[in-house]
Amino acid sequence: MKGSQMKKVFVVYATDNVGTAVLEPIRAGDHVGCNGERSDLEVIALDEIAYGHKIALMDIAQGDTVLKYGLSIGSATRDIKEGEHVHAHNVESNRGRGDLSERSAVTAE
Amino acid sequence: MSEFLGFRRPNGDVGIRNHLLILSGTVYANGVCERVADTIHGAVPITHANGRCQVAPDLRVTRRFLAGTAMNPNVGAVVIIDHFKEEGMTAEDLADDIAPTGKPIATVNIRGDGGFISAVDKATRYAQDFARQISLQAREAAPMSQILFGTECGTSDTTSGLASNPANGLAGELLIAQGGRMLMAECTEWMGCENWLTDKAANPAIAEAILAGVQHMEARALASGEDIRGSQPTGDNMAGGLTTIEEKSMGAVKKIGDSPIIEYLEIAEAPSKTEPGNYVMYGPGMGAESISSMAAAGCQVLTFCTGGGHTSNHPIMPTIKVTGNRQSFELMRDTVDVDVSGVFTGDITLAEGGQIVYDEVERVCNGYLTKSEALRDNNSFAIHRVGPSI
Repeated sequence: MKGSQMKKVFVVYATDNVGTAVLEPIRAGDHVGCNGERSDLEVIALDEIAYGHKIALMDIAQGDTVLKYGLSIGSATRDIKEGEHVHAHNVESNRGRGDLSERSAVTAE
Repeated sequence: MSEFLGFRRPNGDVGIRNHLLILSGTVYANGVCERVADTIHGAVPITHANGRCQVAPDLRVTRRFLAGTAMNPNVGAVVIIDHFKEEGMTAEDLADDIAPTGKPIATVNIRGDGGFISAVDKATRYAQDFARQISLQAREAAPMSQILFGTECGTSDTTSGLASNPANGLAGELLIAQGGRMLMAECTEWMGCENWLTDKAANPAIAEAILAGVQHMEARALASGEDIRGSQPTGDNMAGGLTTIEEKSMGAVKKIGDSPIIEYLEIAEAPSKTEPGNYVMYGPGMGAESISSMAAAGCQVLTFCTGGGHTSNHPIMPTIKVTGNRQSFELMRDTVDVDVSGVFTGDITLAEGGQIVYDEVERVCNGYLTKSEALRDNNSFAIHRVGPSI
């Protein structure tokens, strides 16, 4: 699918594996392309992606790093399929966690 | 190496404005300051609620804010007005702090000079002389490396971390490439992405100071009963699509670019270094206090990245509002200066967005008025408190 029929998400950085819906809401089954970086990628949405929410641009395995701004925003808590909604149900923080103080998080890297 | 036309000070600093400051030493001198500023062409009053009944460490911070604001290169001359003699914070103490800049300074004491009417009379005559004196000064060419470029974000939304902040970070990199310095405060927003900052620290002491600064701010909030880390991201953030604290914080701190962090500063402290790069400062996320601390540190210009459309404007440090939200730009067209929402539609790249922001900064350095300057909406002078009133 080309041009105006395709819905678009925004990708901040070339190495990101998620895009953000900022132009229009996305429904399951929509063909989704990327503005910003990764204009080469096209995925089919598996879920509804509301304004401001993220979609997986590729498969992300459990434990893998979720990348936005080219940086880690957390780890996948289960396998995430290309086109899935990426949010608190399948990603967890590696930072503000009670079981992991900020100092140990920093030195652990 | 590009240049701008600015006002050279006796100590070598270069301002982008030539303000006459009417500086209040204490809350009880505010009325006289405002009366004087009403009379004199171009005079800017700096008034506030502090200067009396503060514990010593808090008073020292207040003094740094007030003296630093007057020392800012954008100020050409200063009239300081106080009402009595506060230990450690008299008009003379402030004048001593400001004196190394070599700019004209006068002091007036309301009690010593015979009350409100006499103080207004005396201060107004000083102010008239200074206003005419600095009006003789012409702009002259100076390298962009003279610029200390402050940056802030507020009323952030989904667009902030994606467009205005990263475009701003790229604009900072363009200035740093010219030998300039960029300053970011708001250490509450570093929480969750401390490692991104510490990785950039030019030495381990800076990295330690960054971690300690965040912990200190967190501890202060916790002492008042608020767990600011545990409550992040907030329910609103989650509903808006932000998943983790690092995602939220990263969106905020991306308003600086990838250059090394050269120095960690205490609130309202001027950098001691001149090397190009990023500088970071301890301080709250509260916009007016944060940008006032950056003006007191010597920033001549500031970009204020905003999703919802912010009205913040510092009285002496031109405050350029940048948004990635087209709707906010349309709604607040008289207030928001730069629109980079074109990155979402693919009309511009993020790199082009960075260039647009940088070009606006350079224009403002050359004298172009920001929208809020043209409106004289000088709403954002505020002093951060680190102790109770007693």
